[in-house]
Amino acid sequence: MSGKSRRDFLKSTALIGAGVTGLTTTAKAGPQNILSEDRMGVLVDTTVCVGCRNCEWACKDAHNLPAGNLEDYEDRKVLDTKRRPGTDALTVVNEYSHGKNSSLPIDVKVQCMHCDHPACVSACIVGAFTKHENGTVTWDTDMCIGCRYCMAACPFQVPAFEYDKALNPMIMKCDFCFDRTKEGKLPACVEICPVEALTYGKRSDLIKIARDRIKRNPDKYVDHILGETEVGGTSWMYLASKDFAELEFPKLGKNPAPGVSESIQHGIFAYFVPPISLYALLGGIMWITKRRKELDEEVK
Amino acid sequence: MKKFLALILVLVFTIGINAQQSPGKDHSKLNLSCKTCHSCDVPTKSDPCLVICPREKITTVYQKPEQTPELITINQLSDRYGPVYFSHKIHAQMSIMSGGCENCHHHNTSGPILKCNSCHETSRKREDVSIPDLKGAYHRQCMDCHREWSHETGCNSCHTLKKDLKDTKNESLQKKYSGKDHPVIIEPTKLVYETKSDKGKLVTFYHDDHTKKFGLNCTSCHKQESCTKCHDVNNTDKSKNQKVVTKKTFEDQHSNCISCHSKTENCSKCHGEKTLEPFDHGKKTGWALNKHHINLSCAKCHGSKLPYNKLDNKCLSCHKGWNAENFKHSITGLQLDEMHSELSCEDCHTDGNFGIKPSCDGCHDDYSFPKQKPGKLVK
Ligand code: SF4
Ligand code: SF4
Ligand code: SF4
Repeated sequence: MSGKSRRDFLKSTALIGAGVTGLTTTAKAGPQNILSEDRMGVLVDTTVCVGCRNCEWACKDAHNLPAGNLEDYEDRKVLDTKRRPGTDALTVVNEYSHGKNSSLPIDVKVQCMHCDHPACVSACIVGAFTKHENGTVTWDTDMCIGCRYCMAACPFQVPAFEYDKALNPMIMKCDFCFDRTKEGKLPACVEICPVEALTYGKRSDLIKIARDRIKRNPDKYVDHILGETEVGGTSWMYLASKDFAELEFPKLGKNPAPGVSESIQHGIFAYFVPPISLYALLGGIMWITKRRKELDEEVK
Repeated sequence: MKKFLALILVLVFTIGINAQQSPGKDHSKLNLSCKTCHSCDVPTKSDPCLVICPREKITTVYQKPEQTPELITINQLSDRYGPVYFSHKIHAQMSIMSGGCENCHHHNTSGPILKCNSCHETSRKREDVSIPDLKGAYHRQCMDCHREWSHETGCNSCHTLKKDLKDTKNESLQKKYSGKDHPVIIEPTKLVYETKSDKGKLVTFYHDDHTKKFGLNCTSCHKQESCTKCHDVNNTDKSKNQKVVTKKTFEDQHSNCISCHSKTENCSKCHGEKTLEPFDHGKKTGWALNKHHINLSCAKCHGSKLPYNKLDNKCLSCHKGWNAENFKHSITGLQLDEMHSELSCEDCHTDGNFGIKPSCDGCHDDYSFPKQKPGKLVK
């Protein structure tokens, strides 16, 4: 997925012992300049979403995860507990009570926000994450060493880790259906949504549409497009009828999060050289084991 | 050349308004703000700058639910599922008290009802994503109500998987809906509301008085009812006293009543510590309504202007054409004998006032009604 080859990575980490400098060079800075004017996004209108969870099914189905029958997603008891995207579901729908004069709940689909300045990209020490021109943030499973920096860095707590796998655990998150959109298809969740609560379009168009909806229904919406400016802007954006904090969205400033994570990371590198080298060493070993295992598999 | 230009203009106009119909030449004289439909200050034919879907009440074609199609087959998008059969007439009958035709036909400027796909594109992957595609539009229309009362979002409540489709010609459904109407809604007689008011906790509302006597239509009060008012799977036992807590503001709560009962009326007219008696014309006005008047709506005698004026007791004030020749006196319970039927009304009913006792003094010295009667009592 990522443009980086393993050879590049090997080059840059050739001297793991002297790791500090080697590692910092592999940590990519937030790709400020690759963002296309026409980059795509999704506007999630939580006032429209009916919580049918068809998107959860479609996402699994499109990513070869065990999806089961679409008909089984009618069971609304699942919504009694709050869930987070995980390694078995890259997107989940949570339900909140409306509170105002409505008996209908508010349903909120959660997945990676595909930040314009993604913290995960900056945090990843092996450069497994890539921000693409069309807005998508992908990661390369083969490069991932399982250090979980991305999990710590992501302001939306998106990347999930396969804790249940002792060997070769992987990071998972929504990939904005990169393979599908490359072929001109819609993201699987967008395609299936019965009410088109998920509008896929140019990010700039979506912002205009969102503003227009708020202007025309000031009683229905709070005057806030989540993701328009948060952490420097995100590809996925949300509209809601109540404060986003009540829908368990983190309160975030306008500055891109990578700055934060980078300075922490660099701070660690500056003052805690030995433990970090050790960690890098361990990471290196892990990567090598993984590689060996892969080679074994290839031989088989 | 001029003709050619005009043709171009017309063409540009037709393309410009694409799915939307021409609203007619005089539409600027309609009682509507221009901004309802146009986003710019000076709309021109070539650039009418129409706003997306104003959702205003401007449908000019109204039909009675009974005149509308009974069953509509929605099959333009069927893929995984077979077509959806929509019982249009029954839904139209239900919609009378919850927004009416515009609830679904929300962007019809004039002319015949537009098809949904004249604005909503059939493909989800499209250039203009400002309004939902056809699939989204359909589902939004249906699911908003359906999940409100059924609390379900399952596809199977409307859709049948293609592989399970047996009756492809939907003959059984056509039979099921042909000639079928929504059941008549039975109105309540008396409703008692518990309020927090210190002017009297209980509000007694005589529903049938308001419809039958005061002559209100259902839609005078029930304009935007939610479907759950009648259809709620959580409340299947309609006989049980329902406790519904509303969070309406004072204004919202009173708005329906205040449209007839003036704001300055005494709170105790409706609020009391006990439930109140129904309106009684005799007690309130001193003129009990006889069997001929009891079933009339108030407006029949008092006119539609509020507050009602006090009427006098002269029959002729309302029954302008009555005279001794054409009035059948037996209707009052007293059939006049031959002698008296020749007289004019005022000979006995002084001043034509029928509220007071008739007098015999004009002809008889020591007769008085009802000891002596000018005829015989009937029935
Ligand atoms: S498919 Fe659409 S309506 Fe259903 S839960 Fe997902 S976003 Fe909401
Ligand atoms: S939401 Fe988290 S995982 Fe997704 S792009 Fe932003 S920082 Fe990365
Ligand atoms: S965009 Fe693709 S990967 Fe992301 S939630 Fe939707 S279906 Fe899943």
